Amino acid sequence: MRTSRRWWLVFFLGPAIVLFAAFITYPILSALAFSLYAWEGIGRRGFVGLANFARLFATFPYAGLLVNAFWHNVLVFIATMLLQNVTALGLAVLLARGPWGARGYRVIFFLPVMLSLVIVGFLWALFLNPVFGLVNKVLTLLHAGALARPWLGDASTALLTLIVVNAWRWLGFPTIVFLAGINAVPEEYVEAARIDGAGEWAVLRRIIFPLLAPAVTIIVLLTFIGAFNWFELPYIMQGVSGAPNRATDVLSLLFYRTAFGEVDTGLQDIGIGSAIAVLMFALLLGMSAVGAVLLRRREVELA
Amino acid sequence: MRPRVLVGILVCVLVATLSPTRARGQQPVKLTFWSWRVEDKWAYDKIIQAFQQRNPGIQVEFVPFKATEYNTILSSALTAGNGPDIIHLRAYGGLETFAAPGYIAQLDFERLPELRTFSRQLLDGARARKDGKLYGVPFATQSLVIYYNKKIFAQNNLSAPKNWDEFLTVLRTLKDHGVLPLANGGKEGWTLEVMSGVVAPNFYGGTAFFDAVTRGQTSFKDPAYTNALARMLDLRPYMHPNFMGVDYTTMQQQFINEQAAMFIGGSWEIGFFKSQNKDLDFDIFAAPPLRAGTAPWVSSYNDGNYGVNAKTPNMDAALKFIQFTASREFGQMFTDMLAQLSAVPGVEVRDPVLKHVQELSRKSTPYMMLVGFRWQAPTGSTLLQSALQGMMAGTKTPEQVGDEVTKGLSAWFEPFQGR
Amino acid sequence: MTRGGAGRTAVQCVLLLNAFLVLAPMAIMGVSAFKSTREIFQHPFALPGVWRWENFARVWVEARFALYFRNSVLVTIASVVIVVILGAMAGYALGRFRFRGNDLVYLYFLSGLMLPIRLGIIPLFILMRTLHLLDTLWALILTYAASGLPSAVFILTGFFRTLPADLDSAARIDGAGEWLIFRRIMVPLVRPALVIVAVYNLIPIWNDFFFPLVFIQTDRWKTLPLGMTTFFGQYSADWGALFAGLTLAAVPVVTLYALLSQQFIRGLTAGAVKG
Repeated sequence: MRTSRRWWLVFFLGPAIVLFAAFITYPILSALAFSLYAWEGIGRRGFVGLANFARLFATFPYAGLLVNAFWHNVLVFIATMLLQNVTALGLAVLLARGPWGARGYRVIFFLPVMLSLVIVGFLWALFLNPVFGLVNKVLTLLHAGALARPWLGDASTALLTLIVVNAWRWLGFPTIVFLAGINAVPEEYVEAARIDGAGEWAVLRRIIFPLLAPAVTIIVLLTFIGAFNWFELPYIMQGVSGAPNRATDVLSLLFYRTAFGEVDTGLQDIGIGSAIAVLMFALLLGMSAVGAVLLRRREVELA
Repeated sequence: MRPRVLVGILVCVLVATLSPTRARGQQPVKLTFWSWRVEDKWAYDKIIQAFQQRNPGIQVEFVPFKATEYNTILSSALTAGNGPDIIHLRAYGGLETFAAPGYIAQLDFERLPELRTFSRQLLDGARARKDGKLYGVPFATQSLVIYYNKKIFAQNNLSAPKNWDEFLTVLRTLKDHGVLPLANGGKEGWTLEVMSGVVAPNFYGGTAFFDAVTRGQTSFKDPAYTNALARMLDLRPYMHPNFMGVDYTTMQQQFINEQAAMFIGGSWEIGFFKSQNKDLDFDIFAAPPLRAGTAPWVSSYNDGNYGVNAKTPNMDAALKFIQFTASREFGQMFTDMLAQLSAVPGVEVRDPVLKHVQELSRKSTPYMMLVGFRWQAPTGSTLLQSALQGMMAGTKTPEQVGDEVTKGLSAWFEPFQGR
Repeated sequence: MTRGGAGRTAVQCVLLLNAFLVLAPMAIMGVSAFKSTREIFQHPFALPGVWRWENFARVWVEARFALYFRNSVLVTIASVVIVVILGAMAGYALGRFRFRGNDLVYLYFLSGLMLPIRLGIIPLFILMRTLHLLDTLWALILTYAASGLPSAVFILTGFFRTLPADLDSAARIDGAGEWLIFRRIMVPLVRPALVIVAVYNLIPIWNDFFFPLVFIQTDRWKTLPLGMTTFFGQYSADWGALFAGLTLAAVPVVTLYALLSQQFIRGLTAGAVKG
């Protein structure tokens, strides 16, 4: 009986563990190890310790590129928080009041989340074409032709434009999450506050927002992970080198380029590529851990 | 029960469709041929037909990729141990990166006697520095020029300018008459590098400077070079007001649809322009020098080579095709259809615009970064393209461009170290 | 809740505006798909003079969309099926079996929720190369299936744990085999959770671009998102075809969503919303 149960356990658990170990755990652990070796193409050479990191941090142009890309990721995170998630919170508050057509709005707002970023990127690249595209034409129609500019070609607007397109695609997601959070607030709390004479804003600020903390933590965490994994949209709309003049270069693009071949030469540098991966890794893991701890603590408080 | 049956069927179907079919034998040999020449697919398809008629046992499929992504895709395919049988390779350093690790089959005069007649200059673009061996059949010489729309010029009583001041006058006149003078844009950095290849040589002194800088006697900080780059800024007012967002396709479309009077670009455009708009009446001129009377420098280079994947299972068939690309017949078809200067010697040029290019390129100078500075990363092209985007957007001075390029190249080009 | 008509109107205005911003670009995309390039440039907002269905035909056949679709469907279905089956089995074992190391295995799977597998792409690439799986759909299926497991195990273990304890012990006393208990009694009870797991994985896999970009080189095995980039390179001047391609790529997802919007909303936010 005992042995048969053990075999059943192996039967149920084995396949999943093998698959997960082979294609997730092993690659991720090796990625850490790879950064400590010298590379020729995809051939691994001797152990070099932290030499790849030293090269990454200290030699031109890698050092500059790394810092440049990192700041862009940070910017993407901050701007997305302010632009996308604050708007989403506003929309969720409005939807939670149960206006006419709330269900329909929910469905519409979430629609772009379904679309592939490849579709979204190409679509907006066409709209943003400075000569033939729609965006500048709309501005001209609205008598705001002075605002027309080469959105994706101007180093000062390119990244922000990408962030807005990204927000267009993602907005529905935080909206739904916040909405679910607000709906989960017990009605009695709100009623009690109302009876105490609290106004609309006071209810939001004192009852709903504090109870929304877990949802906010999750969205902040997901936004952070998303911002630091940002790849598809800049790749599709601006190309693999983060044009113009590296204004939309982010860590994932830099990583991909270094590891799989530069645009004009096809040269690869797996050592440096792996070092970049390790850095991103540490960053994401650290942030996730902080987020998880925060979530746990909040759950305990609420329970 | 039903879901399990469904899953079972699905798994069977999957296994059946996913396992690569490796049926050989009577089947014709299928070769894939990768390229970055998306615009030329129609012509290559026709040329391949001619080849297939001659060689019934071989089928060739031409698969083009977007030019800006081609190297990365090719690179990961070759390291994966895959990749096409026939590879459209760049020349010089662009060939070296793939030839040096052994991805490309070595060629020689024994195997391809046709190559003996090719010019030495072109063959140099097909050689790896590492071993001095040949790895490809050169396919074309390209020159960088300025296209102009003859109809628009005639309407405005203009003719091709002879010196720089005349050029600026032409640009100003067109702008005053409400015509967009230049189709060029800056969204894709390489189109700016081409522009520098057109404008700068006359001002930095052509081949003498190229020789000096490649020997390390001077660097790109040299005022001769930065002042030459600064001339590109003269052209800025005559490009689309949002030119920094104008990509390559949009540039081409504006010139083809006669929305812009001039287009600074390479000789490879002739065929494409003609195929897209039969009524487009255009010619070319070389970038005007400072003073009329001096013959202008024209940047030229070996555009690239056809190579064979060293790991191809169809080596014989692939070599047969490569051999075909070195034949006079191929060269003539290539030149006639695409209006590019074939690398095959003795090809007759019939297209009048191309003939004009051929005449101008008698005084040619190597296209700076492509010929001289693409041997290692970061390449001169990568550095220059990014920096030029900054310069044209107004955030960098030509001196900063020169500094950045020199500093970047010093990572592997020893003569620049400490400069 | 007390509020005036003015407030209600303002709320509707904001919501309508946002709905418009979401829908207008997609509507323009759909309409432009029927136009000629010249029409798109000259009259971007007008309806097409002639509805050019041939744009779609051209994209479907010449640009190989049929092929890309087939590949995407195969990869998505195969990966989701594997995730659901293996996830259910593992979730069942972790949720119902008491054994030493249960928590450890559970946490081991959960660690996958935090580790972005994309960063392991170089070793994964080399691994696939060693296994001769590069440039096959299997490389994608195995990667997606493995990376879908953590969320599946997380969601399903939770569900299995909530089922009453005497359910399986009663069956076991009746002499039912383990597989029968799993298949006939437990799985039907967690069906809603299986749907959530499927949806949670379906859309990201269908939309993924990164792994095909690295693993697939031959046109024959390209999935839709990767195929789109080839298509955009080749038809870059033919905007009618480009919009037709975009529309064609969006239609299946949008249709599916129109039919099952609630399931998709619930499924995709499953990781972020509790209950």
